Order: sequence, then C-alpha cells, then structure tokens
Amino acid sequence: MAAQPLHEIGPAGPGYEAAALGFTLALAASWAGSAGVFWAGEDAAFAEEGAPYPVGLAQYGLPLDRLIVARAKKREDALWAAEQSLAASGAVVICALGAQGKPLDLKASRRLLLFAERYSSRCLLLMPENGPSAAWTRWRIAPAESDADPDELGLPAFRAELTRSRGGPSGAQFVVEWHAHERAFAERVQKKCEPVFYADAREA
Amino acid sequence: MSGARWLAIYLPRLKTDRLIRAGRGPSDDRPLAVYAKEKGALQLKAVDLRASKLGLNLAMSLADARAMQPKLEAVEEDLEEDARALDNIAAWCERFTPIVVVDPPEGLFLDISGCAHLFGGEEKLRTEIVTRLRAQGFASRAAIAPTPGAAWAFARYRKQERRPQQTLRESLQASLAAAEDWQAELAALPVDALRLDPNAAALLRRLGLKSVGQILHAPRSSFAARAGENAMLRLDQALGREKEALTPRRPPPPVFAVRRFLEPVFTADVVLQVTQDLCGDLIEKLDVRGAGILLVELVLFGVDGRDRVIGVNVSKPLREVKPLMRLFREKLNIVGENLNAEFGFEAARLDVVRLAEFDERTQALVSVEASASEEQIAGIVDVLGSRLGAKRVVRPQVHDEHAPERAAGWRSALGKGGEDEPQTPPKDGVQRRPVRLFSPGQQIEVMASVPDGPPIRFRWRRVMREVVRAEGPERISGDWQKRERTRDYYRVEDKQGRRYWIYREGFYGESEAQPHWYVHGLFA
Repeated sequence: MAAQPLHEIGPAGPGYEAAALGFTLALAASWAGSAGVFWAGEDAAFAEEGAPYPVGLAQYGLPLDRLIVARAKKREDALWAAEQSLAASGAVVICALGAQGKPLDLKASRRLLLFAERYSSRCLLLMPENGPSAAWTRWRIAPAESDADPDELGLPAFRAELTRSRGGPSGAQFVVEWHAHERAFAERVQKKCEPVFYADAREA
Repeated sequence: MSGARWLAIYLPRLKTDRLIRAGRGPSDDRPLAVYAKEKGALQLKAVDLRASKLGLNLAMSLADARAMQPKLEAVEEDLEEDARALDNIAAWCERFTPIVVVDPPEGLFLDISGCAHLFGGEEKLRTEIVTRLRAQGFASRAAIAPTPGAAWAFARYRKQERRPQQTLRESLQASLAAAEDWQAELAALPVDALRLDPNAAALLRRLGLKSVGQILHAPRSSFAARAGENAMLRLDQALGREKEALTPRRPPPPVFAVRRFLEPVFTADVVLQVTQDLCGDLIEKLDVRGAGILLVELVLFGVDGRDRVIGVNVSKPLREVKPLMRLFREKLNIVGENLNAEFGFEAARLDVVRLAEFDERTQALVSVEASASEEQIAGIVDVLGSRLGAKRVVRPQVHDEHAPERAAGWRSALGKGGEDEPQTPPKDGVQRRPVRLFSPGQQIEVMASVPDGPPIRFRWRRVMREVVRAEGPERISGDWQKRERTRDYYRVEDKQGRRYWIYREGFYGESEAQPHWYVHGLFA
C-alpha cells in the first residue's frame, strides 16, 4: 500500500468520521518523511468534526514541525491546494473533503494521482461518499473497541475494510491498532471476525 | 545629487478647477470664485479663468468682486477638499514615478531621475503630464530641474513663452540650453521664486533685492543676518548646495521596474506577459544589489485614472522569475475577473516593497535530495497562500499552557516562525488529548451518572451514546482571574468504539443546579 500514490479513505458509516480521520492521520504519520505532511481540506471538513488540535496530533505521532494545514472555502480550492502540495517530493498530502457537495469526479482524482506520480509524493483522499475514483485502494473505516483493562482506554483501534483494490483482492477486513510512538500499525490478534478476512484471502 | 531630475507641477487653479470638474461650478458661463473668511471679511481665495479674464483677482474681497461682477458664482473655501484633490492628482502621478511628493497647497514634486526615457524624454514627459491634467480639467504648469527648488521656481515663474511654430531642432536646442543655463535662469527670477513666506519676500524687496541673482551675489553673512536663515537655505536648496529632504506620498520602493504600453492593455494574458518582463527587469536590479524579494506589488495604472495593486508575499527571499510568476499567475487568476480593465491599463509597475539579504549558499543546495527541500516547501506554501490567503495556510504551534484551549494554536506558515521543537508521542501510545477539539466545547445531555464520576449514557448531536469505558478524571483548574471553573475531564468510549473527550464543569452539590457536561474533542 505504501508503494502506491493515491488512496481513498472514508467512514464505514455515519458517526465514524473521526475513525476515518484517525486512520488517515496514522498512515500520514507513518509515511511522513523529511518533506512532511500537508493537510488540505474544505472548511466543511474541518468545521464538522472540530478543529485539528496540535497537542493531540503530536501525541498521535504527527511531526508538528513538518505539518502544514491549508483550509479552503470551496471544494475545488481544496483539490487545487492538494495538487499544489503534491509537488513537494516525498510529502504525504491529506485531501479532506466535506460531506456536502457533488461526489468527486474521476478526473479530479486522476489529477491527484498524476501529480503524486510525477513528484513521487503520496495522497490520502479522505471523503465520506463513494464515487468513481482513480485511487489504488479504498478503505472504509469504523472504530474498534479498546483492548485494555475495563477502566482504561487502549490504543487507537480501527476496523478497516478494503472495499476496493486495483490489481488485488478486496473485501478484506482488518482490526488494527495504532502505535503512535513507533508510528506503526499492528494487526490485533483476532477473537471474532476471522472468517470474513480469511475467506477473501483464500479466494485470491 | 548628481543626475537627479525633479519635475515640479504647479496647479494654479486647483481650487476652482476641482469644483468645475466635480460639476459644482456654474452651469452657464458665469465666472467662479472661491472665498474664505479672513479678519472678518470675505476674501477671494481663487478665481477661475473666466473671472480672471473679467479682471477679478485675489486682492479683492468678495463684496468688491460682486460689485464688479454681480453674476459671480462664489463658493466657500474647503481646504480639506482641496488637499484631497491634490492628493488624488499625486496618486495619479504615481504612474510616472513611484516617488511623488505632495507640496501643498497647489504643487507636486516628481522624482523622475532615470524615468524620463520611458516616456520619450523629459520634454515629452512634461508635456504629457500637462496635457493629460488639462484633459482631466486641471490647469497646470510643469518644469524640470536638477533640484526640487529650481523646478518649483521654473514651474511658477518661468515666462510661458509661446512657441507655436518651433521646429523640433529649435525646441531641442532650447531645452539643451535650458539644461545648461538653469542656474543663470534661476538667477533672473524674482525672489518670490525661492519659496519664501510673503513677509520675507517683502523684506527682501524693500532691501532692493528683487531677483534671485542679486541675493546670490550679495555678501552672504550680512544678508543672512538680515533676511533670515530661511532665505539662504531656500537658495542653497534651489542651487543644489544643500540637500533637501522631501517625504514622498508613499514610501518609495527600494527597487522597482516600470513598463508603459503603447496602447491600452485589457486582457489578463497580456498583463501576465508584462508582469513576467517586469519580474525579469526587477531580478536584474536585485542581482546587482545581492538582495532577494520578500514582498512585491504589481501596480496596474488604468486609463481611467484608477490603479489596481496586486501584492505577492514570499516566505523566503526570492530571486528567480519562475517561482515569482507562479505566484502572480495564481493571484491574477483570482483577481482576473475583478481586474475591471474597462478602459484598459496604460502602464504597470512592479515594486519591491520588502527585500532581504539573499544567501547564495543556501540556494545551491536546492533539489539535490529526492525529498522536497525547505525552499521547495516554502515555495508551495507561498503558492497556497497566494490563492487561499495567508491566514488559511498554517503550521501548528504548541504553547506551554495548562488550559487545553490555550495549549496550542496555529500560525501562518508564511514567513519565518519560531523553530518548533519536535514533539514525541508518549511511549505507551495512549492518547491523552484528542486530535480534534471543539471550541468551545459542545454541551451534552447526561442521562445517568454516578456523582463525581463519568456519565453512563449521554446524548450528543441527538444520538444517545452508551459509555462502556471511561478513564479519568483529569482535573484541570481554570484561570481564576478569568473566573473559569474547574473541569473534570474523562476519556470515554461508547459501545461502537468511538472515543470522546468530555468534561464536567463544576462539582455536584456545589449549587442547586446540576453541573453541565461538554464534549471537548474527539479521539481518533
């Protein structure tokens, strides 16, 4: 996945936007090199779920000294900002779109892909709705319950479903935990939902 | 001061011209005068051409003038409006040079050193200014000299010889002669040409000193003692012996480049092309100075007399046309629709408003690594800022503050900032602060809770959420000076695994009312 330049991430259902963002930020943090992370988004995408909070972002593993946030009034400006940011070779660009507005057309995502390929940067397209897209993978994210003592909250955890993958199997489900200090995902040892995952993996 | 060229403009009928121009003059062919109250009498302060031809002059009172010309239209003097009119003309003149000095009540100075060739020479420039001012309804006289003082004197006191059938050769000779003999010409002018106050000029005349030349040859010490330092200073300034410090209307740009168009320009494409040429000119000048650009302004001068200014901010000193043009292209793309080039533009000027030392060594390192360099990122930030606005492109900032709202903020990514210390995530990977914060916190309805404990169920955004895990409290006391109350924060997880940062403001049993609960942020 890290080798591919464009990925699409969205919530698995209403109310899971924070989880989708968390998954996106975690990917960005784990891939961030010296070029850092650009986070370009529509105002709507920022307003709905609260403003990015630097203290929390730092704990989450994002490099604050290499993080730039660009807020755009309109969707086309957000896409434009993402394209421009992709010109930073090696950077990870999060393009966050709000829930309102028309679904993204194929052309727009293709442009992002082209920019990312040309400058060898990576783009994470965070958007709630489905639509045609040039992304290599599409992920639907839901939160996963904590794996910790009853009076504690554990590591950030996600139920991630790969709903689309170019040149590979789709439908796989993972439960992953984010280790912010190591800036790495680890798959949680499964207790319940193995069948789905293995069934699909065998098909491939 | 060698090589300095000053153009002085004198607007003898500014007060009446501006009234007529604004449509406040007489609608028929009656004469117009401006009066003001002076020592209890109404005194004429200005007369228009018609009134002057009818024999009215500024020595008259309004009553005398009315007696001579009963039909005289008289308007009371408004010094503020006069000053505004003069300033507007000064602004219009900035299309010829960025250094325009307002010289109240009815004059302007233009520093045209090194500019005149853009307008086909000094004489052409002078004529163009006078002609175009006349087209706008302002009578003017203009003169060029190496010092502001001499230009001032020539604009007002040089005999306006009429040379209707002068050949080009003759006029050239005349202007060449004038250029050589300007000091002699100055000497022939009356003492009033030295910008003296009326009393000093009157004193000189009583002493029998009528012309500038007579003062020039008078013994300096005795003369200075009698007529005052001021006259000597003015004389020295006019002759260029003493430097005169004038304050331009706007601070002059340290470096600028100008282009004039042969015919009005309307389209953004042409503007872009011109901008690129100007950038080239500018960078050439900057190379000489070893400086880089931080802030440039493109000034477009409309044929209608209105200007548009398009500014471009850069975060690191820049000395290349390409990245500069990228920024202008973005800016012009937005402004494009609002360029309002109704009548077209006749000239464009690119001013460096701020520049900084340019370090060659740091530039050499660009794009050696596979990963974007700081310069490249700064360039991208500039591009983003030029379209979205500088306030919308930000970097995070963490402050050493206890209150969550004040512990962090955002600052413009443009320009230099404090070097941020890299923050490391906690070893155990447990998130104690949310990635997103609501400001202010959003109130929630707590359905069931143990006193002094976290809620068991709560309603937020009309959805009931069941708490299955909670950690806390973390007590954060408010700033008592701002009357903030103590908050107990909990990190809670609902049945679906969503995690919230919630707090209770105040304590149970503290007062009659139940304490309120809020969601302050969301964990990923």
